Amino acid sequence: MLARARRAVIDIAGAARSRRASTLARVSRRLALALCLALGCAAAAVAAGLPTFTITFKPDGTFDPARLEVPAGRFKLILVNASKVPVEFESLPLRVEKVLGPGVTSFVVITLSRPGEYPFFDDFHQNVKGTLVVGPAK
Amino acid sequence: MEQVAFIVWRESVEALLVVGILYAWLRASPAGRKGLPWLWGGVLAGLGLAVLLALVLLGISSWLSDQGQEWFQAIMALVACGLVVQMVVWMKRHGRGLKQELEQGARAQIGDSNWWGLLVLVMIAVAREGSETVVFLYGTIAAGEATGSMWYLALAGVLGFLAALATFWVLQLGGKLITWRRFFRITEILLLLLASSLLVSGLDHLIALQVLPTLMDPVWDSSWLLGTGGGIGKVLADFAGYREYPALSQLIIWLAYWVAVWCLLRRAGRPAQRAARVAQAARSGS
Repeated sequence: MLARARRAVIDIAGAARSRRASTLARVSRRLALALCLALGCAAAAVAAGLPTFTITFKPDGTFDPARLEVPAGRFKLILVNASKVPVEFESLPLRVEKVLGPGVTSFVVITLSRPGEYPFFDDFHQNVKGTLVVGPAK
Repeated sequence: MEQVAFIVWRESVEALLVVGILYAWLRASPAGRKGLPWLWGGVLAGLGLAVLLALVLLGISSWLSDQGQEWFQAIMALVACGLVVQMVVWMKRHGRGLKQELEQGARAQIGDSNWWGLLVLVMIAVAREGSETVVFLYGTIAAGEATGSMWYLALAGVLGFLAALATFWVLQLGGKLITWRRFFRITEILLLLLASSLLVSGLDHLIALQVLPTLMDPVWDSSWLLGTGGGIGKVLADFAGYREYPALSQLIIWLAYWVAVWCLLRRAGRPAQRAARVAQAARSGS
């Protein structure tokens, strides 16, 4: 990724020198640089240690906890499938769709700025539901 | 049991919609038939990729990290969206003219690049939902092994897939029952709606990765009117990209998508109309 960013910088410098470079090419190069920067930021944010919460899919077919309170902002949600069947943690309001095989643990990073209640459910067992309660930012 | 069959049907139907529509389109013209091996190649490649993805989701393999999965999902959705639009534009440009071009002895120039696009599109469509079906079926049947209901559950899975195949068949039948022009119009809109939902889903992943700023999140809250947890809201989310809490950047890109599609199709439609007019003039002249 660093190499790509460096290449993008060199590209932009080159574009500045060459007056004949088309606007479109210049814009696309800048976009590439912006993308690399954004990627770097995203990686840094993950490394910075986000507030972390855990939701477990229990063998009896319920979420633990079924109601989770989190502060507004960016946080990490560890998903543990402790059941013997595959599950799909799904919530379009949370922008998450994640399939977990039996016994698999994974995580998602969510950003929510608006306090409120956000429903989530298991798309493979649609009667299994839970609620994420987003409180004011800390 | 019905739940297992229903989930398999639901997970397969999106892929079968894409494959089914493209199949009907290709079969409609002699030049298009040359694309059929690429279509089936895409299905095979998609099944292979689905299994590879399923191994990650099952925790057996880890060739993709959690972050990597998020990126992979985002890229798959956005590439598929672009390829759907490309296919629709290509069909619009060549679909109606193909027969005339061949009859007039003109060589239909169909580059390999278009067929590669077709293969990749079908591959992604099959792999995206296919991987989830594989995990679901494998996990459910493995769990059923303990309780002795394994064969029963496997049968439910087969039934779900048969229901999906029946959907494919109905689609092909639809192509025969109504005029080609109308069939193309309807399926074209279906695919463009599906592409918009792929776009929105890809953007969801990009927002989750913090690559795309939200600008304003959410722009509105329509959860009181139509939630995406199930029912019509979920169908609209899966097939048209509806969201109850859209981000502003998502909304802007969604609008830009429809403007771009409209412009592209208007431009693509023009030469076909001209060709049709020329052909008509030639016919009335002779």
